[in-house]
Amino acid sequence: MQQFVNTLINGASLGSIYSLMALAMILVWRSTRVVNFAQAGQAVLSTYVGLEIHRITHSYPLTLIIAIIFGALFGALVDLLLVRPLMHRVGDGPIAAVAPVIVTLGLLSAIQGFVGLIWGGEYRSFPAALSQNGFKVGLTRIPFSPFDLFILFTTLLVMLAFAYIFQRSGLGLAMRAAAFEPEVARLAGVRVARVRTIGWAFAGGAGALAGALITPTTLLAPNSLDLLLVFGFTAAVLGGLESLVGGVVGGFLLGIGLALVVTYLGSSFTFITAFVVLIAVLLLRPRGLIGQRSVRNA
Amino acid sequence: MRERFALNWLRIPSGMRRALLLVLVGWGLLLISDRISEFRVYQGASVATYFVAIVSIVLLTGYSGQVSLGHGALLAIGGYSAALVMQNLHWPFWIAFFAAVFVAALVGALLGVAAARLSGPYLAGTTLAFAVGLPSLANQFSFLGGEQGLPFDIGVAPSRFGENFSPYKWLFWISALFALFAVWLAANLLRGRYGRIWRAVRSDETAAALSGVNVARSKVLAFTVSAGFAGLAGALLCATVSLVTPGGFPLSLSFAILTGAVIGGVRSLVGAVIGAFTLVILPMVADAIAQGASDAVSTNLPAVLTGVLLIATIVISPGGIAESLSHLGRKIALRRQKRI
Amino acid sequence: MSSRMRRLTGSVAALTVIGLALSALPAQATKVHSEAGVSTDEIKIGVTIPMSGIAAPGYNKIAPAAQAYLDYVNAHGGVFGRRVMLKVEDDRYSPTLAVSKTNKLILQDKVFAIAGALGTANHLAVLNSVRLGARGIPDLFVNTGYSGFDNPVKYPTTFTYLPSYVMEAKIIGTYLANNYPGKKIGLIYQDDDFGRNAQTGFKTAGTTFVVSKGYASGSQSSPGLAAQVGAMQAAGAEVVVMFGVSSATAVALITAGKMGFKPLKWIIGSVGGDPTTLKALGVPAAILAGSTGASFLPSPTDSTDPYVSFFKGINENYNKGRDTTWDNNALVGMNMAMILVQALRAAGKKPTRNAVVAALIAKGKTFVQAGLVPLGYSKTSHAGYTGYWFGTYDTNGDLKPDGGKYTTFVTDSGSGGVTTSNYKRPALPANGLPTNK
Repeated sequence: MQQFVNTLINGASLGSIYSLMALAMILVWRSTRVVNFAQAGQAVLSTYVGLEIHRITHSYPLTLIIAIIFGALFGALVDLLLVRPLMHRVGDGPIAAVAPVIVTLGLLSAIQGFVGLIWGGEYRSFPAALSQNGFKVGLTRIPFSPFDLFILFTTLLVMLAFAYIFQRSGLGLAMRAAAFEPEVARLAGVRVARVRTIGWAFAGGAGALAGALITPTTLLAPNSLDLLLVFGFTAAVLGGLESLVGGVVGGFLLGIGLALVVTYLGSSFTFITAFVVLIAVLLLRPRGLIGQRSVRNA
Repeated sequence: MRERFALNWLRIPSGMRRALLLVLVGWGLLLISDRISEFRVYQGASVATYFVAIVSIVLLTGYSGQVSLGHGALLAIGGYSAALVMQNLHWPFWIAFFAAVFVAALVGALLGVAAARLSGPYLAGTTLAFAVGLPSLANQFSFLGGEQGLPFDIGVAPSRFGENFSPYKWLFWISALFALFAVWLAANLLRGRYGRIWRAVRSDETAAALSGVNVARSKVLAFTVSAGFAGLAGALLCATVSLVTPGGFPLSLSFAILTGAVIGGVRSLVGAVIGAFTLVILPMVADAIAQGASDAVSTNLPAVLTGVLLIATIVISPGGIAESLSHLGRKIALRRQKRI
Repeated sequence: MSSRMRRLTGSVAALTVIGLALSALPAQATKVHSEAGVSTDEIKIGVTIPMSGIAAPGYNKIAPAAQAYLDYVNAHGGVFGRRVMLKVEDDRYSPTLAVSKTNKLILQDKVFAIAGALGTANHLAVLNSVRLGARGIPDLFVNTGYSGFDNPVKYPTTFTYLPSYVMEAKIIGTYLANNYPGKKIGLIYQDDDFGRNAQTGFKTAGTTFVVSKGYASGSQSSPGLAAQVGAMQAAGAEVVVMFGVSSATAVALITAGKMGFKPLKWIIGSVGGDPTTLKALGVPAAILAGSTGASFLPSPTDSTDPYVSFFKGINENYNKGRDTTWDNNALVGMNMAMILVQALRAAGKKPTRNAVVAALIAKGKTFVQAGLVPLGYSKTSHAGYTGYWFGTYDTNGDLKPDGGKYTTFVTDSGSGGVTTSNYKRPALPANGLPTNK
């Protein structure tokens, strides 16, 4: 019983990080209809930048803030310098569906190589915001620490903030319009391109946050967030790839599901779980567990 | 123009002509393999293997518009099937190659049914998860040999080829033979009914459906055929290593195949040839650039180069090198015509 | 239609021919002595090792450290006047790449021998495919604990370096029986042949675990090892054996701290037990301190050890690698280079591949080296180191031998027993330069 409860708690703290990554992928998807496979690379890069900041300043808040800002700026740059010209070029041509996937993959490879060039391939540890020692409940310590609580709150906060921006603010309306009906939006005076870039910046920041929050428990290396990409994408699809709340719920479901699989089925099934979940969700409920409208074509 | 061409070829049916050409190419390759160093021969085998893998992507992405980031997993299925057939049934290796094609195509058909309902990024993400998840399963089932995998040994050349016939040349002959067979098959397929259907579906699904094409079925078929080629590539890859292991199919392999396809040109078989050469030459170029630099440079440069090349190809010439070349060719031809 | 087809096939043919012709440019000529890889002033040795990718951290320091010692020897006359150069190829821990890079080393770089190849599946692929044994190419100091490589009949030119995982598990098992009888023992292992090889050893030693949990290689970076550590905690394990790679060991120890799980004792296997690496990975000293570790080399922080202080000096002055922090990986690399130099010397002034293999069989046991346990090279066995000593990590995280002095245990990879060894390693030669013949 104790083990079951611990597994759930573990899964939940893992899930909040998958949620953050899912949020990042959903933000990009919503603003430009692109699944950004370079998100893991961007997160790795900003986390290394954070590590440098921490080495110099020894200040955690500063580290986190600069990493997020860097992530956001880099996200915006990726859109400005890469995705925007690309979309312009390929338009609706025959490779329109394939091109973004390949370009973001190329970016992933280039960033990981670049990070390896600068910082080498060694594993690094990354500081945590708060104590990683679990809370005490009675005499036993549960596998849930102040830092886990911090991650959980941050995730919910980020989700709520983005949800607010999307649903209530003018910017949010513009972003939704730009994503779904770019032509109409343009006619209505929305500066579509700029709005999309903002979406990429938000996503870059969220991805940077995910990277900075997962590395204290799992170490940092140029390739260390590859799996986070797969699990983040799975979580996003679980939630329908459109809804921010859906992405967060998807992240938690996946985190808990994975923890249960590892505890009760064996660790060899860890990696295939994401695939099984994806296929099952996409075939049985193509709109995601919480999806509302829209189809799989875009 | 057409008349003259037909005369040149003595009115041989086109299928036969293709076969004849490939026999000629094969003969050329054999002559070449006798005149270059053993290392080049070995690299030639790698080129042939990559070529088959890239043809598989050309069929899938170039002709039916579906993206797969997980072809490494299909290669793994091919490799394991070939090894299992050889180990348990003791059949000769060339039958094992066909078994690899068959089993991979079967799995591809299953995947294809799912894939036909997904588009673009969904399919990409799902196949990515497939490539990440599948190889680690080998550790779960002992008949797959765990981390150390299963042996897959195509042996050495029969003694009638002579004493100086090295294992490298044997490997090259086999790889080249299967690659030629694959290109013959692919060319016939793409020239035929299904090639036309796939192209129609790729350029406009709705229009294709309106003109009576069963879009879903054509996509499943494309995935199945592509998986079959991937299975062959997997068996060839394992033959060059004499072993099939879960570690032999990392995510980077799936990415490499896609990279080769995109850079060479995802819509033509010529592109597949260029892509295969690129994959073998790229690390050598990186090595040459990094000569004398620290190991951090030499180990990370290939990744940077690959990424930059991928992006540059899509942005500058989405059709890859092959398409740029044919554009160039057409321009030159046009100019010559004008002069006349 | 047919004209397009002809163009297509025609260009395929043309491109293939051109491509192959281009790639057939002559390889750089080497001054060949009598044997491949040996010229009048140089001996070329090849090594395939992960220098990038997920398995690189830690291991990528071994080859530069080995080259550092070789550079020192080269600066002092080399091996009978010949420089020894390592040609390092990155295999990214992939069997496919390990094979193609080994082929490149042999066919293009024309190395004299392969040394220090790393990774079980990788090297198994190399041996099967490149057939080093049948071609008489020395395959020296294979850097993995897989016991199957010590097989003089199947792999006549292969010599291992590390003690096997089976040996290590047997020795840990015996240690557990002697020191923690009746305690509840748990095991966390890598869920592949590395872990399974260890389980074989524990079985031979008669160790029973109340709980044993595997982790999939790579899963330490996501989803982490909370489930495995939780299982230890739930089963009330008093002594936990962690038999995994450094990154997984670090994640397990950090997770245990997070969950407030403090067993009576952690026993950390040698593969993941380098304290410098663990500390760099953020393992709190409070958890590492008091844990038990095993090694066959002296502790890299033992400044009283003549070999350690000598190699450390070489590291400071000659290491041109990227990360030159002194640790067990650097020590492993330098010590391997020292044994390599002696093997080359023992092969004589006109070294041949056969002579190197013969020299290791005949004299390998007597070579000067830093290890505290004997090398096992003989006619019937090509096993490298054959045992371990146990130590406790102190509050600095340094591994200190139990009882203040190194007590070593030796065994084999079969069913043989575990015994205490009274092996005395040879003294460090003057200036650290071997003079053997």
